[in-house]
Amino acid sequence: MTIRADDRLLDGAPMRPLCCLRCGAGVEVRKASWEQTSVQWSAQALGACLERQAARAADGGAGGLFEGCTALRESIVRAALEGAIPVPED
Amino acid sequence: MGLAAGRADPAWHAGITRVLKGWVNVTAVEASTTGVRSIEAEAVPTRFARGWHCLGLSGRFKDGKPHTVNAFGQKLVVFQSGDGGLNVLDAYCRHMGADLSRGTIKGDELACPFHDWRWGGDGRCKKIPYARRVPLRARTAAWTTMEQDGLLFVWNDPEGNPPQPEVAIPRIEGAGRDDWTDWVWQEIVVETNCREVMDNVVDMAHFFYVHYSFPTYFKNIFEGHVATQIMKGLSRPDARPPGKGPRMLGNTSVASYHGPSFMIDDLTYHYDDMDLKSVLINAHYPIDGNSFMLHSGIIVQHSDKLPGESAEAMAHKLGEFILKGFDQDVEIWKHKTRIDNPLLCEEDGPVYQLRRWYEQFYVDVADVRPEMVERFEFELDTTRPVEAWKQEVEANLARRAAAAGRQA
Ligand code: FES
Ligand SMILES: [Fe+2]
Repeated sequence: MTIRADDRLLDGAPMRPLCCLRCGAGVEVRKASWEQTSVQWSAQALGACLERQAARAADGGAGGLFEGCTALRESIVRAALEGAIPVPED
Repeated sequence: MGLAAGRADPAWHAGITRVLKGWVNVTAVEASTTGVRSIEAEAVPTRFARGWHCLGLSGRFKDGKPHTVNAFGQKLVVFQSGDGGLNVLDAYCRHMGADLSRGTIKGDELACPFHDWRWGGDGRCKKIPYARRVPLRARTAAWTTMEQDGLLFVWNDPEGNPPQPEVAIPRIEGAGRDDWTDWVWQEIVVETNCREVMDNVVDMAHFFYVHYSFPTYFKNIFEGHVATQIMKGLSRPDARPPGKGPRMLGNTSVASYHGPSFMIDDLTYHYDDMDLKSVLINAHYPIDGNSFMLHSGIIVQHSDKLPGESAEAMAHKLGEFILKGFDQDVEIWKHKTRIDNPLLCEEDGPVYQLRRWYEQFYVDVADVRPEMVERFEFELDTTRPVEAWKQEVEANLARRAAAAGRQA
C-alpha cells in the first residue's frame, strides 16, 4: 500500500507550525472549525512536552494513554483567537 | 459536563445542531466541471500484518483435540500439549502433506493422521513410530503463542522475528475477576479485506448513520503501534426503542488498537440511574487477503444496581447489541468497493493518517518511517460552548502571564 496525502491539506488549510507557550515544543496544527483540531507531533516535540513527561513519570513508564497536553490546547486556542492558526467560519 | 445537564444548555445545543446539520443536510458539492472523481485501489497487500492476533477464547482449544484455524493465507493447527500450553503449527505435515488438524494429540505431540509422525509445539518432528531415526530438516513452521486474560494470541511476522516486548498486549483488568462477568464472545467471518474494519477507528460520521449513535466528542490519537479512538456519544432518541426501564443516555468509549488487530475498549454506558462499566474487545485476524475473522468480546462489571446474575444477563444483551452493530458494518462492507483515495469533507475523520499508521505493520521493521509512528491527534469537541471555552482559556492565560510577571 502506498501512503497517500490527505487532499484536505492541499485543497484547504495546510498544517501550520506552532510552539507550545509553556514548553516550547514545536508541533504542526490545523483547525477545520472551532470544534476541530489536528496536531502532528514529532518525536522531539513529544520529548519536550512537560505534561507528557509528567504523565510518563506518573504511570512508571508503563506507556499508558496520554490524551493530550492542556497547555498545548490552550496555546492552540490562543493562536486561533489571534489568527495565527486560521479557523474557517461557517 | 453531565450528559443530562448538557441537553438543557442552549449554547451546547447550538453547537450540536451545527454538527448534526452537517451530517443530515449535506448540501451537494458540485462536481468540478472538468472531471469525474475516480476511485483508485491497489491490489490488497500480499503480506499479512506484523503483530499479535487474537484467535479467541483459549478454553475453546483445550478440549484435547487439534483445531483448524485458517489465518494469514494458510491453514494452521492449534493444539494443547501435555504441559497445558497451546501451540500453533502450519497444518500441513512435512512428510506427505496431510492435514495435522485432522490428527490426534498424543502426549506432548500432535500425531499426523496419515503416517503418525509426531510433531512438537516447537515445530520439530520428535518421533516417527515406524522409523529408527527422524530425518534431517524435519521441522515445520511454528508460531509464537501467548495466553492472557482467557484469550489465545498468535504472533505473525513475515520477517520471522520474535515479538518485541514494547508491543505486548496490555492486561485487561476486569478479565477473570469475580466482580466482573465472564467473556461473552462472538466470531463472524467477513468476506472483505481487513482494512475495512480498521477504518472504523476514524469514521466519525458512520457512527451516526450506520450505528445510530451521536458522537458529541471524538478524538483519535495515533502513536507508535497504538491507535486510539475516544468517543463520547448520546443515544439518539429517534433510534431508542420506547418503553420502561432505565433510559440509556449515552456512552463514553476509550478504545485502543494495540497493534494491527486487537482493540481494547473501555466502554461505559450512562443510564439515567447508573453507569455501567464494560470492556469490549474488537479483534480480527486475516483469513486471507479477501476475508477475515471478526471477534467481539465483552465483560461487564458487577455493581449494586447490577449484581452477579443481572450483570451476566446484561453482558449477553450488550453482546447481542454489539453484534448487531457489526452486522450493520458488514452489510456495508459486503457491497462496497476498496478505495485508496476516499474523497473526504472537513467533517470526516483522519482516514489518511490512520492508514499511514496502519502501514507500519505491512513493511519490514527497518522500513518503518517516522511519519508512520509519530504522534498525531485529531479532535472534535462539540461539548464545550465555544464562547465559554475561549473565555476560560483567555482567563487561564492571563493568570499564567500574571504569575510569570510576578516571578520575573
Ligand atoms: S503425511 Fe504426515 S505422517 Fe505422513
Ligand atoms: Fe462501524
